[in-house]
Amino acid sequence: MPSEDPGRMGVLQGTLDLIVLRTLQSMGAQHAYAIATRLQQISGDLLHLNQGTLYPALVRLEQQGRIKGTWGKTESNRDAKFYAITRSGERALAEETLRWRRMSGLVDRLLSEGA
Amino acid sequence: MRRFFARFANVFRGAQAERDLHREIQSHIALLQEDFEVRGLSPKEAHLAARRAYGGVEQAKELHREERSYLWIEHRFKDLRYGGRSLLRNPGFTLVAVITLALGIGANTAIFSVVNAVLLRPLGYRDADRLVTLLHDGTDPVAVANYIDWRDQSRSFEAMGAADYWSANLTGGDVPEHVLGLKVTQNLLPMLGVRPLLGRLFAPGEDRIGSDHEAILSYRLWQRRFNGDAGILGKSITLSGQAFTVVGVMPAGFKFAPFWATHAELWVPNAFGDRIYNRGANSLRVFARLKRGVTIEQAQAEIATITGRLEKKYPGTNRGIIVTPLKENVVGKVRTPLLMLLAAVGFVLLIACANVAHMLLARTSDRQKEIAVRTALGAGRSRLIGQFLTENLLLSCAGALAGLMLALWGTKVLTALAPAYIPRVETVGVDARVVFFLLGVTLLTSIAFGLAPALHATAGNLSGALKEGGRGDSGSLRRNRLRGFLVGSEFALAFMLLIGAGLMIRSFSALQSVDPGFNPHNVLSMVVSVEGTKEAEPHRREILYRELLDKIRKLPGVKSAGGINHLPLAGDMWGFSFYIEGRPKPRPGDSPTAVYRVVMPGYFETMRLPVLRGRAISSSDDARAPGVVIINQRAARAYWPGEDPVGKRITFDTGKSDSPAWLTIIGVAKDAKQLDWAAEPYPEVYLAALQNRDFLGDGASHTAYITVVARTANNPANLAPVLKDTVWSFDRNLPISDVLTMDRVVADATAQPRFETLLLGIFAILALALAAVGIYGVMSYSVSRRTREIGIRISLGASRAKVLRMVVRQGMLQALTGIAAGLAGALLLSQLMAKMLYGVRPTDPATFTAVAAILGLAATVAACIPAHKATRIEPMAALRSE
Repeated sequence: MPSEDPGRMGVLQGTLDLIVLRTLQSMGAQHAYAIATRLQQISGDLLHLNQGTLYPALVRLEQQGRIKGTWGKTESNRDAKFYAITRSGERALAEETLRWRRMSGLVDRLLSEGA
Repeated sequence: MRRFFARFANVFRGAQAERDLHREIQSHIALLQEDFEVRGLSPKEAHLAARRAYGGVEQAKELHREERSYLWIEHRFKDLRYGGRSLLRNPGFTLVAVITLALGIGANTAIFSVVNAVLLRPLGYRDADRLVTLLHDGTDPVAVANYIDWRDQSRSFEAMGAADYWSANLTGGDVPEHVLGLKVTQNLLPMLGVRPLLGRLFAPGEDRIGSDHEAILSYRLWQRRFNGDAGILGKSITLSGQAFTVVGVMPAGFKFAPFWATHAELWVPNAFGDRIYNRGANSLRVFARLKRGVTIEQAQAEIATITGRLEKKYPGTNRGIIVTPLKENVVGKVRTPLLMLLAAVGFVLLIACANVAHMLLARTSDRQKEIAVRTALGAGRSRLIGQFLTENLLLSCAGALAGLMLALWGTKVLTALAPAYIPRVETVGVDARVVFFLLGVTLLTSIAFGLAPALHATAGNLSGALKEGGRGDSGSLRRNRLRGFLVGSEFALAFMLLIGAGLMIRSFSALQSVDPGFNPHNVLSMVVSVEGTKEAEPHRREILYRELLDKIRKLPGVKSAGGINHLPLAGDMWGFSFYIEGRPKPRPGDSPTAVYRVVMPGYFETMRLPVLRGRAISSSDDARAPGVVIINQRAARAYWPGEDPVGKRITFDTGKSDSPAWLTIIGVAKDAKQLDWAAEPYPEVYLAALQNRDFLGDGASHTAYITVVARTANNPANLAPVLKDTVWSFDRNLPISDVLTMDRVVADATAQPRFETLLLGIFAILALALAAVGIYGVMSYSVSRRTREIGIRISLGASRAKVLRMVVRQGMLQALTGIAAGLAGALLLSQLMAKMLYGVRPTDPATFTAVAAILGLAATVAACIPAHKATRIEPMAALRSE
């Protein structure tokens, strides 16, 4: 099934979800543009991506019930869809963060001890 | 799990999600633009910068769609809609493609439904694959005593039963009727494992003399004669003057035996009586059920041992007994022709596929630009191939639907054309297996004609196609090669089919020109039975036969009349062994044998069957005169080589050697056809009916009838009612059956080859037409593509003749390569037909030459029309047009 093909998203997929959740947790409800801006701020040029690529992550997280989108108004009084992290999203973030830490710790150790 | 439902639901909620997405992206870009404006860009610059920062809107949407739902499902729906629209936009293309596919699919489905009913479906008995027959040479009947020995001595079989052919006059209704039936051993029907609809099967002991007057009716007979009377059980019916009690009715569709005596409509017990000691009268067909796990080979080996032992004890008996699966007896003769027809329609379908593939190739070349645009908008290659395949599937489904109609109509025509010669043809119909076949063929077809064009269409290079502005010759070399291959295969397939049809036509015309020995035109025949009527009395029977023929001869329009026991090609055929006076007594089993016929005076004259030497049987050859016999040429050559047989004496009374009844040969008749039209005639003897005790006095059913033949001045069919009334003027209870013109009898004898030749011929013509259309299409397409090139050539001084040659040569090369491949294939395949051919060898040079010429001509004509068009290209117009 082509839609299950992870190739398009690359290795970023899991990470991107995590970053989005974390951003929403720390900053509260945000629209896609704000999330994209935030991503760019944090990553600098390391994580260079078209802002459109954010959308698959948003729809995936929403379908998983980890975030919830509602239409609202921006400060400049524009229509925008604001995403907020849900309780299940908080839980998932905690779990994923833990797993990520373990994983990166393990990779770190491997990289420093190996060779 | 939740996501699964969300995605699945989104398959059906595409429009709303799409609006939402669009709104969100618009707002995103607006916010971006705002930011850029804040940083000091002009609104226009800010808008562009925002679009750049966002990336490809359509790609983003596509990614979103993929994430949000099971896109492939959504795609297929979209592809269907898109495909449907695109097909409707090109009604000409669609119509031609659908018709082409419908012809191929329809013909395949029709033939397959026949193959399915005749060859594939099991016989209608329990575990029918364990049922076998034990027959002499696999086909001929055996004697009672031998059957009993096999039954008692063998261990391979769960049960073994036997049947005798039998017919009786069913009286007691408005019209007397001659009904065919079987005399069966008690265990035979239970062995088949079919329960009666009403009542019971025969019980043990009911096949003994004295307790054998019970009958089981077929459903048809029960309905026809007794109006489906539910209270029929226990009632008495009159069969040839004897009372039988009905004990059961078989269900509709039950048929036994499935080969030989297929029209049996009632079954009565077979009481052997004294016949249990008889090893010489071969009339019994033996059926058995193999024990579970026992193979045919094991059973055959055991029977060979038993019959070997018996043959030593009773020389001349028990030879050549072969165990054959029952189904083989039923369908063995038609398997090869049916499979050949199936292969033939398969070829037709392949050719049809190749044609549609051409059309698609041409079409996808024209769609190059569309493909490029769609690729640029984010469609992946697999997505495009999916789109094409969906479109193709749509096409083949439309073809299948039309093909199904064609098949339904076709099977009706088929079953009407060939009722009597294909067993079980009455069961032909559309069942689950036919539907699966149709679906499978449809799917395979769409892949067969669609995959290559789809792969080719999407392999092209994107920017090249866009730049060339849709003229796109990219990959044209490869595509031309594919086209060449397709045309070549079409011609190869068409060649093989035409060879098959050509050989069948040659064989059939050889069959048609066979001399039957007699002149069948203007002769009417009918069977009159006296069994069970008061005319069966010995003395009355003779008077009836004489007076009936005399009366018929006096009818207006009748030139002559005669009678015979078994009409050639239509009636039964008996073989008897005889003994020649003055020759050493032959060993048992080695006696001269001949086909045994009994004739009334006037037979030879009426049939225009010449008596070449001596004289014909006349009305003075009666019981008071010395016994006479006429033999055929074959018998004269076989038993009196180099001698004049006229005046020699033979006898059939081989048992009573002290005072045999000698018969003097009074004439030699021309060889006439006997049972099988294509077979060489056997030695044959004609006895005088008026001297024949059996045919004048015997109470047995198998001698109590005569076939009347009458030669008429004009259409013999018109005489039928008068002839029947003449018979009934003697006795209203005389059953008449098989009222047939001799022309019809001859036509029926060649009906199977005629049927096969007709079908194969139709398929071959279809194949030829499709192949010609194929090469025509490819050539005219190639010419239209090369308009500019040809224009340049002409403007540079190429003569029109040269252009013509160039274009024709290209087409012919492909066709000739195909023909060469077809020649090789046909040489191999035609060997499989050898058994079906009469008077022509599978490698018949005339057929091969003719077919090659026909195909060559078709290819030339098909290539010349577009080539001629090419020569009329105006160079200036051609150059300007692009």
